[in-house]
Amino acid sequence: MGAEGLTCLSIAEAGAEIRRRALSPVELVRAHLARIERLDPSLGAYMTLLADSALAAARAAETEIAGGGYRGPLHGIPVALKDLIQTRGIRTTLGSTIYRDWVPTQDATVARRLQEAGSILLGKLHLHEFAFGPTGVNPHYGTPRNPWAHGRMPGGSSSGSGVAVAASLAAAALGTDTGGSVRIPASLCGIVGLKPTYGRVSRHGVFPLAWSLDHVGPLTRTVADAGLVLAALAGRDPADPSTLELPAPGCGGPAEVRGLRLGLPRELFFEHVDREVRAAVEAAASALEGLGARLEEVSLPAMRHATPATFAIIAAESMAVHRPILKAHGPAYGGDVRTRLLAGQFILATQYLDAQRARQIVRGELDRVLTSVDALLTPTTPIPAPPVEAREAAVDGISLDVRAWLTRCTRPINLTGHPALSLPCGLTAGGLPIGLQLVGRMFDEATLLRIGGAYEAVSPMRGRRPPEPA
Amino acid sequence: MPAISTELLQAIGRELADLAVDPADLPAIQAQLTAQQPGLAALETLDLTGVEPATVLLPGLEGGHGG
Repeated sequence: MGAEGLTCLSIAEAGAEIRRRALSPVELVRAHLARIERLDPSLGAYMTLLADSALAAARAAETEIAGGGYRGPLHGIPVALKDLIQTRGIRTTLGSTIYRDWVPTQDATVARRLQEAGSILLGKLHLHEFAFGPTGVNPHYGTPRNPWAHGRMPGGSSSGSGVAVAASLAAAALGTDTGGSVRIPASLCGIVGLKPTYGRVSRHGVFPLAWSLDHVGPLTRTVADAGLVLAALAGRDPADPSTLELPAPGCGGPAEVRGLRLGLPRELFFEHVDREVRAAVEAAASALEGLGARLEEVSLPAMRHATPATFAIIAAESMAVHRPILKAHGPAYGGDVRTRLLAGQFILATQYLDAQRARQIVRGELDRVLTSVDALLTPTTPIPAPPVEAREAAVDGISLDVRAWLTRCTRPINLTGHPALSLPCGLTAGGLPIGLQLVGRMFDEATLLRIGGAYEAVSPMRGRRPPEPA
Repeated sequence: MPAISTELLQAIGRELADLAVDPADLPAIQAQLTAQQPGLAALETLDLTGVEPATVLLPGLEGGHGG
């Protein structure tokens, strides 16, 4: 297999070869670095490339494995991190010019866990400024290009993570998800994105956007790979008291859906959805039905309160995080993010608390529905990737801010804290990826991985990759 | 529902929040808040009595993760 071919391997495939010492981590990392050198000048996924340290770590992994010290399926696998995740001794910009030269003195827990699992850090990835936006458009550092269509948004806020994995510039990447920021770039870039259950993965050392909504999760090219990365990340972290000590979700089990019940929500998620997106998601539902799953319409009337409740919570919590930074560096923020943050100082305390109370109702309703079905099935985004310069998009004659469209189906699941998996389910006639979202019971990522794995095997996106640049 | 005036926003920012807002930013802030007002008001249609405003979803105290 040529070097370019190595970059297309899944983690499971590459890991199996590394384990039996048929593939060298050095060879794998070199292949990725060569591809990054060739493609990233036009794609712009990487903020900071760590070629020398990656090669050194790959050599160390090779030696360790040769000595019988194989650590597991991530050992020797090249990965990258959203540049909001602190890395000791490596600058972490947060997508902001204010932190252009910030070099943290600690690793985020997730960075450390990936390192302990033996993965190789290739570099840090671009993002929407301070992770506060779903488009990935960054006025300071430029906007990563969607590998499927360079004039289209990559999605955000984990824009570089989506682009790097879709273009095979890393085997996996980590992103953060406060309103959909793992799942949206996964959807728009045609890859897999997993927002774990709130409490499953530590956020310690990850710059916050909104404490009670923030999650960290993997972006990968296969469902099984998302499970492998999650297994390395999951678990109690004393530094993040919201985390729980639970067994890591099982992965690698049978991708079998016979007898499982999938709920199609009547409200919100299928209202005002682009025609091609709806057709692809409905086809995915039919495919799962063909595999033996049962489809049921379900009702979630309180979901209509999810958008305003999430708005109030993000606005208030993000303002609390950013207030001292805004006071000192307000003009250094991009206008898009600054005005969204400043709106937070006009949220009444009672509105915030009512939003938190409404949250319990929305969450309880979803919990109840998930006692009668095993998972929900929805579009991830109701529209495919908009043009980079777009500010509004229209569906069914309704024109809204693209940010509202992009977060419409993902944001409610940050409010409730349930796990959600996005995976590709088709392409538009124009060649843009379409994402399918599966939402599961609290701490039941295993069922999502099982359903996603079963669908992936029959998906029209199986084996599809972005067009290869000349 | 009446729009929230930019004058009111400027006064709150200056007098209460101690974070002055550039007048050029006010229309964008006003538009966001005005768009969300009906939804925020509709939260009152829920029966919120007896629901505690938990700010975390799981047991344990929420910790800062900025580190």
